[in-house]
Amino acid sequence: MRAIRAIAVNTFREAIRDRILYLFIGFAIVMVISTKLFGMLTVGDEAKIVKDIGLAAMQFFSMLIAVMMSMLLISREVDNRTVFNILAKPVRRWQFVLGKYLGLVAIVAANLLLITLVLVVMVLIYTGQFDPMLVFAAAMTMLEMSVLAAFATLFAVLTRPILGSLMTLAMFVVGHMSADLWMLTRQLPGTFTRAVIATVYYLVPNLERFNFRTEVVHDLPIPPAAVGWAVVYASACVGVLLFLAALRFQTKDLK
Amino acid sequence: MADIQLSVEDLRKTFHPGLFESPIEVLKGLSFDVRRAEIFGFLGPNGAGKTTTIKAITELIYPDSGSISVCGLPHTSLEAKRKIGFMTESPYVYSHLTGREFLRFCAELLGVVRSQQEDRISRVLDDVGMAASGDRKMGAYSKGMLQRVAFGQALLGDPKLLILDEPMSGLDPIGRRDVRDMILRQAAAGVTVFFSSHIIPDVEALCDRVAIVVDGRVRAVGTVRDLVSREADRYEVTFAGVSPEELSTRLLAHHVGSGEAWVRVSSEDRDALIRELADRGARLVSMNPMRATLEDLLMTHSEGVDR
Ligand SMILES: Nc1ncnc2c1ncn2[C@@H]1O[C@H](COP(=O)(O)OP(=O)(O)O)[C@@H](O)[C@H]1O
Ligand SMILES: [Mg+2]
Repeated sequence: MRAIRAIAVNTFREAIRDRILYLFIGFAIVMVISTKLFGMLTVGDEAKIVKDIGLAAMQFFSMLIAVMMSMLLISREVDNRTVFNILAKPVRRWQFVLGKYLGLVAIVAANLLLITLVLVVMVLIYTGQFDPMLVFAAAMTMLEMSVLAAFATLFAVLTRPILGSLMTLAMFVVGHMSADLWMLTRQLPGTFTRAVIATVYYLVPNLERFNFRTEVVHDLPIPPAAVGWAVVYASACVGVLLFLAALRFQTKDLK
Repeated sequence: MADIQLSVEDLRKTFHPGLFESPIEVLKGLSFDVRRAEIFGFLGPNGAGKTTTIKAITELIYPDSGSISVCGLPHTSLEAKRKIGFMTESPYVYSHLTGREFLRFCAELLGVVRSQQEDRISRVLDDVGMAASGDRKMGAYSKGMLQRVAFGQALLGDPKLLILDEPMSGLDPIGRRDVRDMILRQAAAGVTVFFSSHIIPDVEALCDRVAIVVDGRVRAVGTVRDLVSREADRYEVTFAGVSPEELSTRLLAHHVGSGEAWVRVSSEDRDALIRELADRGARLVSMNPMRATLEDLLMTHSEGVDR
């Protein structure tokens, strides 16, 4: 398992030596800090607005980093043929896929940690209180990102770089519209369109399962079962997606 | 057989580039064996299928049929892969790493024992003449330096079989000589070397045996000496005092320049020509045997192949 670790570490290192990552992290932090502006401009509980927009920004930028970095780190390794060096050595193809995935998850996690820290400190300054639920919300976002990173990994081995990123982005968007899709299948007339939309509904994971923002912002109780299911759900999705990615990569001729 | 280090048998591969493009049959039943501790050259023109063969051996592509074994093991086994040191056609490297960091990464992939890692990396950097530049970012390396580091990573796992794809192409004369020396050093240490090239002098200078590959098949295998006949089969003769047109000996070609005549004869007709020149009182200037070269052989095998 040293090979997997080495690949993950090298992926992580490649990202932190890339200026692009800092650009994104910089944006994210500026975004989170400027929620204070929104708080001042809007009527209502300012702390709640800061939390709400801050958590939304956290999710959005984590998603962007997952999508961008998957393209830079996985597709680039295959396109630049640095992967030849790895796979001609005693390393299995699935180990490469898993190592890349773990490296990507580590980058997203590191970035999420940073944004969470900024948000927690901001709310602390604002309300004088440490809100542990923000950390909980960040952990749930991390679950969502682990699923998204698995999608990114699958698309990186399945298609071309830009297309793969767009498809990952599409999964993010559709994954958050699951409930709307379900409504659509009820309302649309044609059986064919209904069947197509139902298929999409069943194929794309429901990412809203990881969304506890309303509960966190408004101090509502969080059912432990929902959290437990979210963890199980994420693990299952990641497992299936990585399995498919490894399966496809296993027989792929490298150019 | 125990002393076969690499065996490739009836390898076939057709690429299917896309729905609307016709398939490309690259390997058409390619076979050869490499023996222990020899330097084996894989010589062929561009597009012959050398890189494709090497990628099949290193499991970067999957052939349609045929079998490959490394030291008697199936080439896809981890055990076989541990015995191989591989250098790609051009160096593909991470520009964010230093040479030493790259080798450390490779050592981890190879499972080199941690306590030995640093020693081994320093030794390899020394071997390839990169001890001084090991701590600079690879993004700033020249092609020659990249090639050296790439060679270094191939040596890192103490391989039994070195597979080098065009190790000397794109290098300046000094770089080529250094790579040649590195290959010879490894061979002297008992490592089997298999390398591909389209450059004849490199193959002639290094190889114990050569396979000539054209259009996806091995056309000839043997020592360079076996492949090019040792006996000269033609002679070039220059003389003065007689016009070639007057000679009755059968000539393959002739030409008259600044007072001297030049003719080419087959080896059977050589003695007849000498006698006739003496009889007619001509003055013999020179006589040179012409040997077939590897180049002639490559040309002969390439005839009639679409390029
Ligand atoms: N992945 C691929 N898809 C389509 N054609 C390929 C692919 N790889 C190689 N080829 C074709 O196969 C032929 C042989 O290529 P290669 O093995 O690289 O030759 P060599 O290394 O002897 O110069 C070339 O005509 C090349 O265009
Ligand atoms: Mg080639």
